[in-house]
Amino acid sequence: MAQLAHYFRIWLASARYSLVRAMMFRGDLFIWSVVELLWISVNVAVILVIYSHTTTVAGWSKYEMLLLVGTSMLIQRFLMGFFWSGIFEMGRNVRSGLFDFTLAQPGDPLFMASTRKLELDGLLNSVAAAAIVAYSAWKLGLHPSAVAVMVYFCMVACGVIIHYSALVMAMSLAFWITSSQGVEGSYFTLMEFSRLPREAFNRIASVIFVWILPVVVVSNGPARELLYGFEPWWALGLFVAALGWFALAVAVFRSGLRRYTSASS
Amino acid sequence: MTKYAQSFIVGLQSNLVYRWNFGVRSLFWFFHLVVVFILWGAAFASNSRIGGFSFSQTLTYFVVIFVLQFFIGAFNEDYQISEDIRNGLINQFLLKPINYFAYRLSVFAAARVVSGAFGFLALLVALPFFRHYLELPHEAWRYVLAVPAMALTAIIQFSIAYFFGLLAFWFLDIQGFVILSMAIENLLGGQMLPLDLLPHAAFNFVRFLPFFYQAYFPASIITGRQGFDFAVQGLAIQAFWAFALVCLAEFVWRRGLRHHTAAGG
Repeated sequence: MAQLAHYFRIWLASARYSLVRAMMFRGDLFIWSVVELLWISVNVAVILVIYSHTTTVAGWSKYEMLLLVGTSMLIQRFLMGFFWSGIFEMGRNVRSGLFDFTLAQPGDPLFMASTRKLELDGLLNSVAAAAIVAYSAWKLGLHPSAVAVMVYFCMVACGVIIHYSALVMAMSLAFWITSSQGVEGSYFTLMEFSRLPREAFNRIASVIFVWILPVVVVSNGPARELLYGFEPWWALGLFVAALGWFALAVAVFRSGLRRYTSASS
Repeated sequence: MTKYAQSFIVGLQSNLVYRWNFGVRSLFWFFHLVVVFILWGAAFASNSRIGGFSFSQTLTYFVVIFVLQFFIGAFNEDYQISEDIRNGLINQFLLKPINYFAYRLSVFAAARVVSGAFGFLALLVALPFFRHYLELPHEAWRYVLAVPAMALTAIIQFSIAYFFGLLAFWFLDIQGFVILSMAIENLLGGQMLPLDLLPHAAFNFVRFLPFFYQAYFPASIITGRQGFDFAVQGLAIQAFWAFALVCLAEFVWRRGLRHHTAAGG
């Protein structure tokens, strides 16, 4: 418990630093917030154009699809807001040797590297993503109970953990290869699949993207929870996947850390 | 002219150093195509035609778009130019009888030869999976007009990247602007969906914007989405935008130099 409080205090200090920094560079915060908002709008626009020519995609109506895309973006904005900068810099710091500073800090290296910075623009835009989910739910006439909303956010949290784990594993490649530049692209490419309904996948695609890589489950699980109510197998699957992927990410990171030889790495 | 030929050769050599980055990018391209295949496959499951085109024609459009991106799309030229300015490397060009725009254009051409070769290889690998879905028209005029359209597209793509790179004369970090423009270009350039699926009024508006000519226009000629008259009119508008953007780039370069302080370097 004392250790939890210790880590919470560290996180709070990082959050405070990020907030002060964001207020110092307000123009930067504004531009990045607009950038994120524009990307959300672009994704929504694509869905709207597709649905102006069809009524259903893989059995999903327009607002069901918007709810799915909103959920996927919500997960991604949380990841961007809480962890992206820290993990992204980790890859570069390992190469340059600046990762020494992370190792010298009073906490677990993965925690210290991941929580070093909060990105306010990502967190601000999570409100926009949540608004898309709420609007879609309203248009669909859904009236989820408070418990259902809580379960939805728990499943979103599992989704964030899975995204986080995938990103940590991708950036941990920096311990083995000389340049991890562009590796983050693999994360974004994989996450494109999370905007697609589970029913659109068949045969080999289903095995790879639904069962082996849980990129489809992360968004479909929470979205289905709002649309069809609590489905224990989806919830359990998502929870187990989050645990498994997190354990794997920690193992990969630690294995890489053993190879780290400071500035000469 | 010889000096730019030399820049081209040096550009080829330096881009070959990053062959793995292009290889990885090609792999992402393949996954992106899988996303397109699944999404549009699901949309076409309940419609034999969308916007007057079949699934094969739509998939062919996306394949052509992706191939064009590898051959004539600007990747990170804006970043390279901004780094030249930020690090003071630009100073050496100011002291030599070399036109920076022409120098960068020759390096851009070299980079596209390398990335185009990797894109072509990726296409060869993907071809067995998509071969049965590719459907190209047979009219010879399309391929004749596609050549100048692609050349002008390359100039427009490069000029826009050059323009954003030059913003480093005024701003420390241009990444926000670059990603902002990327979102607009992806949607209005037709990389996320064929622009002819937009509502009629929106389509008639975007066809007068330069983004329209960054990818959609040459792809629409090659894949038969537009007729002869539209292609000829489009070429005239595209030529205007290419000229205007080159002039804008020159103007911004001159203004930027007035703002530039060549300390150190």
